[in-house]
Amino acid sequence: MLMLNKRKTYDITMQTLTYLSSLVSIVVLLAIVFFVFQKGYKLLSWDLMTHNYQSVTYIADLKDDQSSGVFISPKTFDEDTFYSIKWGIALKDDENLIGGTSVFVTYIHPDSPLNALNNKGVGVEDIYVKEDYQIIRIAFDGSSSALAIHGAKHMIEVLDTQNSFRELEFSTTGGGIRGSIITTLYLIVLTLVFALPIGVGAAIYLTEYAKNNRFTRFLRQMIETLTGIPSIIYGLMGLAVFVHLTIRLTDATGANIISGALTLTVILLPVIIRTTEESLKVVPDDYRFASLALGASQTQTTFKVVLPNATAGILTATLLAIGRIIGESAALVFAIGTAVKDDIRLTEKSTSLAVHIWSMMTDEPANIELSSTIALIILAIVLVLNISIKLLSKRMLRKQGVKR
Amino acid sequence: MKKLFGIVLLTLALTLSACTNAEDSFDETKNITVYTRDTTSGTRAGFMEGVGFADAATNDSLLVQGFVIKDNTGIMTSMTTDQFGIGYVSLSSVNNTIKPLSFEGVEPTLANVINDTYGLKRPFMWMTRDASDYANETIEAIVNAFIAFLGTTDAQDIINNNGAIGLSATQSWDDIKSNHPITQQDNTGVVVRFGGSDSIQKVAEALTNSFVSKAGNFTAEHDHTGSGDAYKRTQDPAIKDTSVGKDVGFSSRYFKDSEKVGVEAMNMGQLAWDAIVAIVHKDNPLINVTAEDLKKIYEGTFETWSDLLD
Amino acid sequence: MQLNVTPTIMQNKPKNMNDKIVKIVLLSFTLLSSSFIFIVAGTILLKGITPFITQNLGLGKVSLISFLTGDTWLIGEAFQSNLYSVGFIIVSTLMIALLSLLVSFPIGVLTALFIAKVALKRLANILRTVIELLASIPSIIYGLFGAGIILNLVYNLSAAFGYQSKGGNSMLASVLVIAIMTIPTITSISEVAIRSVDKKLEEGSLALGASKTQTHFKVVLFAAKSGIFTSAILGVGRALGEATAVSLVAGGRRSGYSFDLLDTTSTLTTIMLEGMKETTGLDYDIRFSVGIVLIVVIILTNLILNWIKRKVGNVDVK
Repeated sequence: MLMLNKRKTYDITMQTLTYLSSLVSIVVLLAIVFFVFQKGYKLLSWDLMTHNYQSVTYIADLKDDQSSGVFISPKTFDEDTFYSIKWGIALKDDENLIGGTSVFVTYIHPDSPLNALNNKGVGVEDIYVKEDYQIIRIAFDGSSSALAIHGAKHMIEVLDTQNSFRELEFSTTGGGIRGSIITTLYLIVLTLVFALPIGVGAAIYLTEYAKNNRFTRFLRQMIETLTGIPSIIYGLMGLAVFVHLTIRLTDATGANIISGALTLTVILLPVIIRTTEESLKVVPDDYRFASLALGASQTQTTFKVVLPNATAGILTATLLAIGRIIGESAALVFAIGTAVKDDIRLTEKSTSLAVHIWSMMTDEPANIELSSTIALIILAIVLVLNISIKLLSKRMLRKQGVKR
Repeated sequence: MKKLFGIVLLTLALTLSACTNAEDSFDETKNITVYTRDTTSGTRAGFMEGVGFADAATNDSLLVQGFVIKDNTGIMTSMTTDQFGIGYVSLSSVNNTIKPLSFEGVEPTLANVINDTYGLKRPFMWMTRDASDYANETIEAIVNAFIAFLGTTDAQDIINNNGAIGLSATQSWDDIKSNHPITQQDNTGVVVRFGGSDSIQKVAEALTNSFVSKAGNFTAEHDHTGSGDAYKRTQDPAIKDTSVGKDVGFSSRYFKDSEKVGVEAMNMGQLAWDAIVAIVHKDNPLINVTAEDLKKIYEGTFETWSDLLD
Repeated sequence: MQLNVTPTIMQNKPKNMNDKIVKIVLLSFTLLSSSFIFIVAGTILLKGITPFITQNLGLGKVSLISFLTGDTWLIGEAFQSNLYSVGFIIVSTLMIALLSLLVSFPIGVLTALFIAKVALKRLANILRTVIELLASIPSIIYGLFGAGIILNLVYNLSAAFGYQSKGGNSMLASVLVIAIMTIPTITSISEVAIRSVDKKLEEGSLALGASKTQTHFKVVLFAAKSGIFTSAILGVGRALGEATAVSLVAGGRRSGYSFDLLDTTSTLTTIMLEGMKETTGLDYDIRFSVGIVLIVVIILTNLILNWIKRKVGNVDVK
């Protein structure tokens, strides 16, 4: 009787532990998603993803024939919006794309002189202040400027006391991550262009052509060792080797997207080679024998018979690679630089989404909200990729019968 | 095994209570947890020099054992959770989630920095390459125009708009822009490289954003890696012509003597002040610190809060 | 019938030019792939050796012995001194890896057991997806999570027990973050190993009167121990190499051997990451030297663990 009780206690304890451990993973995943969601949800918007990072600043003054006047507006404004009857403009303090506060234009009276202004800088002659633009400062002759840091109310109060201004500085919205999104896409395409041929080619060699001798095992071992190296080391190598290489071969002057893609290629090669090898091995030998028996050459057999059957596996490898590219930050910080750009050129520095997060977190002050928003976007992409991989491997299994 | 179960439950319970920290009385017997920036930080240099502990600016081994290294935001967020911590941040970062301390009896406000009564401050400096050391004449002309711009009321407006304290200026950009005809040309595609201190990054980007529209829409490329790189990437012969070289470098501390060697006076200067504020958790009863207090805390002479508060 | 003689049969000497060219091209790709490891090791070695052999612009050579055994990261001013050492950091790194394995290994293996044997098919699939998602989350997001939640957790937890922690920045926080990151690795690999255990072993045990739980723990897990051990090795590898996530919770310890869980800490990777701002001089080159130490530590750990694995032995699995 005692024996049975002891065994029962043992059984129950172990079972509880098993259930609890599994619970941990679910709890952690939910906690991470919840945390990132909570911090980043507010800033998530289509605008964030399509706007430039750099806001464009305009400097303007009044056209000669324009001046202040009386612009009564039929609109009623809420208590946070301040309207200047003299100039016909309504301003409000609000959050900008990256979570800071700026002074926004919420309404301009159609007759207001602020509608069409003279561009003091180089370029188009007329510039227009529109709704949702941010006013940075207004400078006056003979009195101190109205700065955005003092708020919308102060700005309107100062405006109301002035008949003219020296210059008006305003900007379009900035802080968008469009540049980083484009860079990430470039990176993905470029890395795959480099990594897939080399990786798949090496895998084909190792499975189809190579003898099973010491040399081949040595080659495989060398490729496998690459997997154990932390990504930060790859970053160092990328900086030391690929950056210099690209500087020598192209007109690049520093870290650039190409060197980033090359660094990522090296990181991804083992994964691509391993996955491709697995999917090549699964292709039945009968296919190969039949093809050779029919008189095809080795090359034809490999490329027209074996490879097409392994495409599902290669696709899986590709998707895994893409997931890694999107998530990689440490290595890219060195190989691609940390300068967030809008105008993306392959031979210039830029940031991928993950590096953008890194850049936001190490800024002064760090922007946890924006980082979480970008993290949300990354998570969403990774989720979609994962589901695609699962569906693809299901299809692959179905094609092979249920061979494992 | 049961212990594991118990700890898991306790953890879950405490996680929920983590949001509602019900600690009302301040326990003075606790150790002071010292937060600092790392040795490359200009804020740290300014802070250490301001409290009379200049040797500790780039020397970790002089600080009390067991300090925590964080960046600016890390120190801010740490002061919202750690009741027994003390740290320092730039004045522009101060908000109402933490408690700023008065320095030598003077409150840390913009007004007090401008009228020079608040003593804990550090300069924002700039350094450029030597004359004719630029990639081409256009870039050199733009850089010269930018430096002139820094001395105008317009630039001081931008600086003030971003939380730093501008120096007093008398002329506006309109007054002097005729001296710099390069700014009236279309400079699209011309890349001018800015770098140096990351404490100044916000201010520097605001300045270039504003200046770009005044100077023909050139492209300002910002890569801020630390105050030490201001000299290294504009003037140091071993680095300035490599791929990381810059045209204008910013520093959040005075240039060291070693950094002024061979640099002509016209290639460096100050553009603003920035105040540094010592901060603590809101529950901390401390209101004012002296330079000596801070030095004693950071070198370890004061170990617990009772050493300081009594 | 699967012929396992593929390689030899394929070794019909390529008959025409086409085949020869293709073979050479593919061989070159393979050689290129295998050579990268040497390029990586080479660059790190080259740059990392310099502090020990050159005079470092007048600062003098860094002594290898004191570098490996000392207890202070840098005595003196940065860029003015050559007294670097990572001795205490090596110890912390190993401690953190070991402790996180202590946390993640049981949880990971038990979760794998749950998915493979205990759970109903639907639940198992859901859990498997959860694990895969966790595995593909970029490490910087773990870092954000760590800085946001784990720090708070550790601070309040230690306060509840009466200990003071430094705002949560501690070895414990680093251990927790790394443990969370390694659980998916251990779980997925162990799961594959558990699933490939021969059914006969299981059935035999049940036939002899053992309960399901006893069978699971005493027979199945034991039979899968080779695969489970491999998962631990890979988990340790990930733990040793993690940089960004840990750097936000570790605290940046600069001196002193410490075994205190609630004290701040540093790992080899976080020390490398922190110095990457000002980019020349001894302070920068020394990061490469730390990189060499890191690679050596990883290789040694891998060798030791693989040796243990061979000693523990293989059980027939199919």
